[in-house]
Amino acid sequence: MDLSLLTIEIATVLLAIGVLVIGLLIPREQRFGLGYLVTIGLAIILFVSFGYYGINATAFEGMYYVDDFSIFFKQLILVAAVLVTLAATLYVKKMGTNYGEFFVMTVFAALGMMVLSSAGEFITLYLGLETMTISFYILTGFKKNDSKSAEAGIKYLILGAMSSGILLYGLSLVYGMTGTTVISEVAVKLAEMGSLSPAMVVGMVFLVAGFGFKISAVPFQMWSPDVYEGAPTPVTAFLAVGSKAAAFAALIRVFMIAFPDYSLQWKMLFAALAALTIIIGNLVAIPQTNIKRMLAYSSIAQAGYIMTGVIAANAAGVRGVAFYGMLYVFATIGAFTVVMNFSANTGSDEIRDYAGLARRSPLLAAVLTVCLLSMAGIPPLAGFAGKFYLFSSIVDQGYLWLVIIGLLMSMASVYYYLSVAKVMYMADPVDDSPIVVPAGAKAVLLITMIVTVFLGVYPQPLSVLANLAANSLFF
Amino acid sequence: MIGLEHFLILSGTLFCIGLFGALAKRNAIAILMGLELMLNAVNINLVAFARYVTTGILTGHVFAIFVIAVAAAEVAVGLALIVAIYRDRISVNVDDFDWLKW
Amino acid sequence: MLTEYSGIPIIIVWAIVFPALILGASKLFHPKNPTPVKLQTYECGLETQGDTWVQFKISYFMYALVFVAFDVETVFLYPWAIKFQSLGLFAIVEMFVFIAILLVGFWYAWKEGALEWM
Repeated sequence: MDLSLLTIEIATVLLAIGVLVIGLLIPREQRFGLGYLVTIGLAIILFVSFGYYGINATAFEGMYYVDDFSIFFKQLILVAAVLVTLAATLYVKKMGTNYGEFFVMTVFAALGMMVLSSAGEFITLYLGLETMTISFYILTGFKKNDSKSAEAGIKYLILGAMSSGILLYGLSLVYGMTGTTVISEVAVKLAEMGSLSPAMVVGMVFLVAGFGFKISAVPFQMWSPDVYEGAPTPVTAFLAVGSKAAAFAALIRVFMIAFPDYSLQWKMLFAALAALTIIIGNLVAIPQTNIKRMLAYSSIAQAGYIMTGVIAANAAGVRGVAFYGMLYVFATIGAFTVVMNFSANTGSDEIRDYAGLARRSPLLAAVLTVCLLSMAGIPPLAGFAGKFYLFSSIVDQGYLWLVIIGLLMSMASVYYYLSVAKVMYMADPVDDSPIVVPAGAKAVLLITMIVTVFLGVYPQPLSVLANLAANSLFF
Repeated sequence: MIGLEHFLILSGTLFCIGLFGALAKRNAIAILMGLELMLNAVNINLVAFARYVTTGILTGHVFAIFVIAVAAAEVAVGLALIVAIYRDRISVNVDDFDWLKW
Repeated sequence: MLTEYSGIPIIIVWAIVFPALILGASKLFHPKNPTPVKLQTYECGLETQGDTWVQFKISYFMYALVFVAFDVETVFLYPWAIKFQSLGLFAIVEMFVFIAILLVGFWYAWKEGALEWM
């Protein structure tokens, strides 16, 4: 067994535990450097992870994949974690006592996501999933003096645990029917059996429901607006990006490797879910007055777009998912960093309070506009290229209707994205005082904006990596 | 003779009872108990499958052990959150958890 | 096949009949002479105070949580303890890593005052 394949995960664990121990050893007032320590540590791990492309091996006898697909998603998660921890330092400081623990839990959540994206077996998958979600339960309820936060935490826990239970029941049925928990062996056993038993169908439906909850697909989306609104904003950003991307990685691996022979059946299911998700996510986003709720519904809609790549079930579709996932990281974290800094200064998350933001802080307004327009898919921003990859992967597979829904709803989404921009640029500010943005957050804002514009104009570097990821999944 | 079906029926029933409890109960503690029932139903499934389908291979048992450990962690976090809310509102009734709209 | 399980209904029937028999017999023969003192709840000889359904102090809660978390982790030690001889040095080192991580958690709980009386 070659433990060096697990270097990235082991380094992440050591980082989390190291920061926890350092936090215990130094007095409370000196712990504020820990946030930067975590950012630097994660950035180093991200840098090291580039060396793992092209290995395409499995560890622990097929239980754990170290292929380009998992490395790509790990990098996506690490990018998200680096940006979130860098942007969050001031916000967390204002939140009160447990400063170091916030970052430790963030790293643990990232670790869970990494395991989830690499899992080649159900027990590993379940452990990754729970490491991620339990860390998120804690992070969601992290604001001690704000009971909205605790309430969001318990709601997330109840619904999250319920969905884990359903997913787990599905996993147990698949295990029982095939006699193995290794994903690639499930496919072999299913091919030997020839047909689907009723219990297997139930298991697959339960898996769809469980994963649907984690990626907040309609009709399993009811938790996400509440949790997004109540959670501390950096957590919301990480939750929207990381947990969704990791769940997509696991979903793709399970359905494309374990059930390729029955893709017609689950494609239908996912197509229906994707259509519902795109329509409802976008339509419900329109009347929202709280920007975090608006972004929550918009991220539900984004999950719908990404699902179209899963429906394609080929290398082109997976490339679309990987590419769009990475863009979505930058756009979402950019938008949430603006929300974070705005609320740290004004204490408000209401869209109407964003009036005249362009005059109070041109940077914040510009970044929010770019990020929202990228999510809407306006060329030349990155979101356009991503949607192009996604939709073109299913158009010739008989899912033209889904593409049309996606395009129509993207147009509808421009309306609510632009209405935020309109408030920021056209309306007069109630209060003229400029908004102070700390250096770390400023760096995150600039990075997200530049990357979003750059990848829209020149998507080549990212699409090469996304291609590698997709090809490693289909050999 | 007790066979695999009996265990599956038991676990299916237990799972439904747990799901019903989690959805219908108003007391947050009772909801957590419902969730535990769901996870234990899964454990019965896993152990039964390990016994009857893959006799001699302990994957199912190991899976069940991991589920037990994770469930404990989940419940610990859940109780901590419930206590945090209780200190604020003197209630564990989920109908009172209405500061965010559902 | 059937005889294998026939013990169960017999035990069930006996479990109902036997207590009924004993209780009925003692009901028949014991003297009936209730006084208020005799009808009191027995609590180690002390006089009882208040309701049975009292709330416990929330201070117990932290102990309970820490206990639950660490108690359940020991479940991983059992399979290891049975098999570690055939698994070799790697398994032993691995278990020490596992325990070390648990100890960090315990140290954290201790240091953050989860074990203090609040």
